[in-house]
Amino acid sequence: MSDEKFKLHPISAVINFITGLKDLILPFVIIFVSNGFKLNLNPHDEEFWADLVPLAIVGLLLILNLISGIVKWRRFVYWFEDGELRVEYGLFVKKKRYIPFERIQSLNYQEGIFHRPFGLVKVSVETAGSNDGKAEAELTAITRTAADMIEIEMKRTKREKRQVSTLNESVDEIGHDYMSEADVQLIANQQKQYIEENIQRDVIFNMSIKDLLVLATTSGGVGVVFSGLAAIASQFGNIIPYDYLYGEFQAFIKVGVLLIALVVFFVLLVAWALSVVLTLLSNYGFVVERENDKLIITRGLLEKKRITIPINRIQGIKIVENPLRQMFGYATVVVESAGGAVLDKDKKIILMPLVKRGQAIAPLQQLFPEINWLPMLKRSPKKGRPFYYRIDFLWMLPLIALISYFFFPYGLLSLIIIPLAMLLGMWQHKTAGYSVEGHQLTISYRSFSRTTIFMEKKRIQQMSLRQTYFQRKKGVASIGTTIMSGSMGSSAVIAHFEKNDMEKIMAWYKPNTK
Amino acid sequence: MSVEPKYQISRKGLTVWRVYGIIQSLIVLLIVVGVGALTWFFEWYWWIYIICAVVPFVFAFLFIYLFPKIRWDHWRYEVREQEIEVQHGLFIVVRTLVPMVRVQHVDTSQGPILKRYGLAEMTISTAATTHTIPALVMAEADDLRARISELARVAEDDV
Repeated sequence: MSDEKFKLHPISAVINFITGLKDLILPFVIIFVSNGFKLNLNPHDEEFWADLVPLAIVGLLLILNLISGIVKWRRFVYWFEDGELRVEYGLFVKKKRYIPFERIQSLNYQEGIFHRPFGLVKVSVETAGSNDGKAEAELTAITRTAADMIEIEMKRTKREKRQVSTLNESVDEIGHDYMSEADVQLIANQQKQYIEENIQRDVIFNMSIKDLLVLATTSGGVGVVFSGLAAIASQFGNIIPYDYLYGEFQAFIKVGVLLIALVVFFVLLVAWALSVVLTLLSNYGFVVERENDKLIITRGLLEKKRITIPINRIQGIKIVENPLRQMFGYATVVVESAGGAVLDKDKKIILMPLVKRGQAIAPLQQLFPEINWLPMLKRSPKKGRPFYYRIDFLWMLPLIALISYFFFPYGLLSLIIIPLAMLLGMWQHKTAGYSVEGHQLTISYRSFSRTTIFMEKKRIQQMSLRQTYFQRKKGVASIGTTIMSGSMGSSAVIAHFEKNDMEKIMAWYKPNTK
Repeated sequence: MSVEPKYQISRKGLTVWRVYGIIQSLIVLLIVVGVGALTWFFEWYWWIYIICAVVPFVFAFLFIYLFPKIRWDHWRYEVREQEIEVQHGLFIVVRTLVPMVRVQHVDTSQGPILKRYGLAEMTISTAATTHTIPALVMAEADDLRARISELARVAEDDV
């Protein structure tokens, strides 16, 4: 056993500083704004010293922040002992955290722009308990080798008997605070051998450059297309009898419509270009690998991220197709996983950002052989259709009445919402479907994008049958299901189907019926 | 066809909801009196008085009489060996099935009003959802809590 205590790489002081800076931005803005952006550089002015106060405060805060960043780095140590990862930090209040290796569910890596030049990674240690969105422990910056060492320590502890003795010795031999170049080389070589011997990784999915480009250009692109169309359409204003309708206002309206359409179009275009670049950067080199019972997802160009998901934590799989991508047969595959802090802000883990629907099935089948990926879906009956848009009238009618009243006569144009909402409702009705097969429930629905969710009976936390007064009269009902997603639930609804069929699903879900 | 769950919640639950309704109505009444006074002093429109007069009555009727009655009529629950089933709802009747295996813990809690009527509220939590049975006689709530935690321990995954 190696009882040597390790430190983080010095660069983590800088990273601490930068992270602290983010929290300071708001106070800084407040200070400067409340000061009216006044900057007085004339020492003979009598207000010179008074104006300097906010600057001094800012400077002081910056220095404090810098010091705290350095202190945080200086006081942070981690080591391996008794099959545990132990972390100790804090200046006045010393905090220690011992995490048994068997409890560690995944080690997630992240390489930011400060990490890349030095070959460092940020490691987040996750256990089953860390589900409040925070990792159990975070090592801000350590070398790749050191990160691999944690992983190796972890694996060694997990199967204690199958130790590689030479490796242990070499790890033990290192007796200094921070590893020297030679040590790093030595260990790296041995570890490489070790990893090659013990771990087999299969690539499940990777993204081609072409798909990446399609992904980037179609993400959130619908709005741009629409506004572009609006701009073009306004060019053909002659077709609309403006003269007849609005008489002298015609010129003003024509110019106004075109101008607004163009401005909206350009704003959206810039937003879209930004989103293209961001999507490209964050999804570059997207690879999903399988290592024993874990999935490893790696992605990112400037900032590289690697997350690990134990397969048995996966609660359900979603295939999402937005209308634009659906037209070209593309889909996104999302995984709902229980617990664990995720590096991204949203809880959903994307397994395949963009893939031809047909091509998604094979790797999914390989990962989850027990699930039928092409079930026959049962569709909603015709009598269920009105329920998809009827509820919308509740908000539509008052809204339309108000708009029409205050903006008469143009407000009447808002009447167009009615057929649009009804069309969307019919579309949703057409997409809705479900299938019960063995232990598997599949639900397909559309809010705007078509979503198909595959889940197993044992993963469903609760199921509820709901019926309004009107639904009861027509003999239809809905079913809501909840599965775990992060530390919360994620629900899917089978809306407005035959009541008897819904009762059958409830009966299927009852534990005593096999 | 499955039948709806067997047990209704305590009749006293209805009384408690009515008490809540009375409290809410009193608050509404206070607000309405305030608005009326302002209308008097600042000479706003006369029809505000009519609204002020009508609203408390409608509110009281709905929240003291009608809604508690409908809700109470819809409320059903049943704890079976393998699952818990509850049914509730005002406009939408929701019947929820929670398998025993999924139950993580059960809490009972009691506010001052519930305590006065010897009632308790039971909350059943799964990993992702919580379900509340609002008004149980205290003895029954304790009994049920003990039984659920017992059953939840024994229940085995059948999938």
